[in-house]
Amino acid sequence: MYQYNEQDQNLVNQRVEQYRDQTRRFLAGEIPDDEFRGLRLMNGLYVQRHAPMLRVAVPYGLMNSVQVRKLAHIARTYDKNYAHFTTRTNLQFNWPKLEEVPDILAELAEVQMHAIQTSGNCLRNTTTDHFAGILKDEIEDSRPWCEIIRQWTTLHPEFAYLPRKFKIAVTGSSEDRAASQVHDIGLHLVKNDAGEVGFEVLVGGGLGRTPMIGKVICEFLPKHDLLTYLEAILRVYNLNGRRDNKYKARIKILVDALGIDKFRELVDAEWAEIRGGEMHLTDAEIERIKGFFEPHPYEADAVKGVAALEAKLAEDSDFAAWYERNTREHKIDGYRAVVVSLKPYLKAPGDITDVQLDVVADLADKYNFGEIRSTHDQNLVLAHVQAGDLFALWQVLAEHNLARPNIGTLTDMIVCPGFDFCSLANAHTLNVADQINQKFDDLDYLHDIGDIKLNMSGCINACAHHHVAHIGILGVDRKGEDYYQITLGGSSREDASLGKVIGKAVPQVEVADTLEKVLQVYIEQREEEERFIDTVRRIGLTPFKERVYAPVN
Amino acid sequence: MPLLINQSVVADDKWLRVDVDTLAQHPDAAVIVPFDLFAAEQESLLAGDRPLAVQINGDQDFELVLANLERLSLVVVEFPAFTDGRGFSFARILRRKGFTGEIRATGDVSHDRLEYMTRCGFDAFEIPDERFTAETCSVFGEITVHYQGSADDERPIFRR
Repeated sequence: MYQYNEQDQNLVNQRVEQYRDQTRRFLAGEIPDDEFRGLRLMNGLYVQRHAPMLRVAVPYGLMNSVQVRKLAHIARTYDKNYAHFTTRTNLQFNWPKLEEVPDILAELAEVQMHAIQTSGNCLRNTTTDHFAGILKDEIEDSRPWCEIIRQWTTLHPEFAYLPRKFKIAVTGSSEDRAASQVHDIGLHLVKNDAGEVGFEVLVGGGLGRTPMIGKVICEFLPKHDLLTYLEAILRVYNLNGRRDNKYKARIKILVDALGIDKFRELVDAEWAEIRGGEMHLTDAEIERIKGFFEPHPYEADAVKGVAALEAKLAEDSDFAAWYERNTREHKIDGYRAVVVSLKPYLKAPGDITDVQLDVVADLADKYNFGEIRSTHDQNLVLAHVQAGDLFALWQVLAEHNLARPNIGTLTDMIVCPGFDFCSLANAHTLNVADQINQKFDDLDYLHDIGDIKLNMSGCINACAHHHVAHIGILGVDRKGEDYYQITLGGSSREDASLGKVIGKAVPQVEVADTLEKVLQVYIEQREEEERFIDTVRRIGLTPFKERVYAPVN
Repeated sequence: MPLLINQSVVADDKWLRVDVDTLAQHPDAAVIVPFDLFAAEQESLLAGDRPLAVQINGDQDFELVLANLERLSLVVVEFPAFTDGRGFSFARILRRKGFTGEIRATGDVSHDRLEYMTRCGFDAFEIPDERFTAETCSVFGEITVHYQGSADDERPIFRR
């Protein structure tokens, strides 16, 4: 993974001191509340329902064990012994003290971490596929490109006060695990007819109040032009995006209002001014960054562990169920990628304790080259585990409640913290997640339902991406009562689509029962091996509506 | 209102702000003309030879300013609110077009934006009295590492 050089380290150190001074001047009354709000948000600090919340950047979801141990230490020392992974693969602390945040940042800087631009109307953390670098069909590892973008976005002087926040996602294969089509910019590594690698560029995707799928602005962008092209898009947006209404300020609204062709004209005109300029990437820089992402020193005889693995799979059905759902193939024979489930029974999705963080760090050192990844779905990944080590790894994970075999199933939900923590939320989410977990805890049932994506947001801001879930749940407030609107048919993957609302919102106590009716229709109607989303697409919403809203006898 | 030019406080501003009523009273002075007045009177203003400046904000027609850069010695960019970042791009584009005169930020301008503004090409700042302290001038150099190319140095870190 990328290692800071002296300049990178200086930057985060200086940023800590700059923020320390900003905090001091705010507490001394020298910075108005409004303005400090802008400054602290650009450093990931929200003031939430109960306390401040600090969001730490995990660039493209990649961490090492030293960093994860530091996060555990911070959770223990400055917070209530836990933290929360987000859909931008960042980590949130829910209970830091405002005055202690500069000290937390100094601790993070010691391990090459920071909270720069994890919030605010600026360029946010770039995300990617959590299986980058281990896929057989990958065009290129997307992470070096994410690092190139990370450096370009970090403390960008021109784009710190954009009309609204700005998010970029990069994918490197034909599969999309980064929800790239619902990002402000989606970048897909592609090959042209000449065999050259470049990017397909999408712009204007997004969720929130006005969900939209991104539109193709450039079918093939040569890779050396990446930063000049991004800069051209950002400049056009900075100058033309709406600033009169925060709900119409995202780039998706601008692209939609102008039309993609007109927007492309503006970008191309700007790009023509800067394309051959100093920001044009050099081969030397691309190679330098790629050098940090060389393959790990894999064991040549890892495949020998497969026999032991198969024996264990045959004798231990719990292990086999976990292996089936929570591991996937690796491009190197004899290795598997392991998803560490942060969706245990009756715990907040994405939460992790200080002890669990330390356990994962130790496992990473022992079995995974010290590497840990966080995923868009709020889980962790140990991407390179030898077949022969899987059983031992599983035992430790299971002991620490990190091995629920539910990856990709109904209970692998993306859920925002909702009303319990967030000051924007209209409705609770965590109690509904519990309700769903209680209703659908039966493993055979879950595995029979198979691949399904359920996301739940506590308000229209859609932090949990409910629009692009196979089943989306949106909490709404009805005269002080929590109600839940259900959408079906969304996807954030390569076949991206927006879900459609099936009807009027249901009361809180009926959410799980309603899901059961939806799933019953699927079970009755599915064709052999058909996934839930494919059944919905084939038969449409009507059968589901009829079942859910059937008159009670 | 303190005026910083090239990171130091300047005691006297040689520029005079005029409006539609006072423009005619100062036929030879170096004047800062609000954009709307500049647009309305551009023919006579451009024809003269006195030092001329325009004050513009993000809602106004930047192209008109760009079209007349040769005649302008100063462009004043107004920040109606600190959250309005359009002025950063204005400065960047002005420098890219080769404008070597002064670019001055006015409005909601204070300590924590001066460094970014400088990097984008601003070299003068009007800072409201209540936001100015002795520490304000020490902001420059808080962060010395710059990944991106910008108006202060077009080369990104990988070309330096």
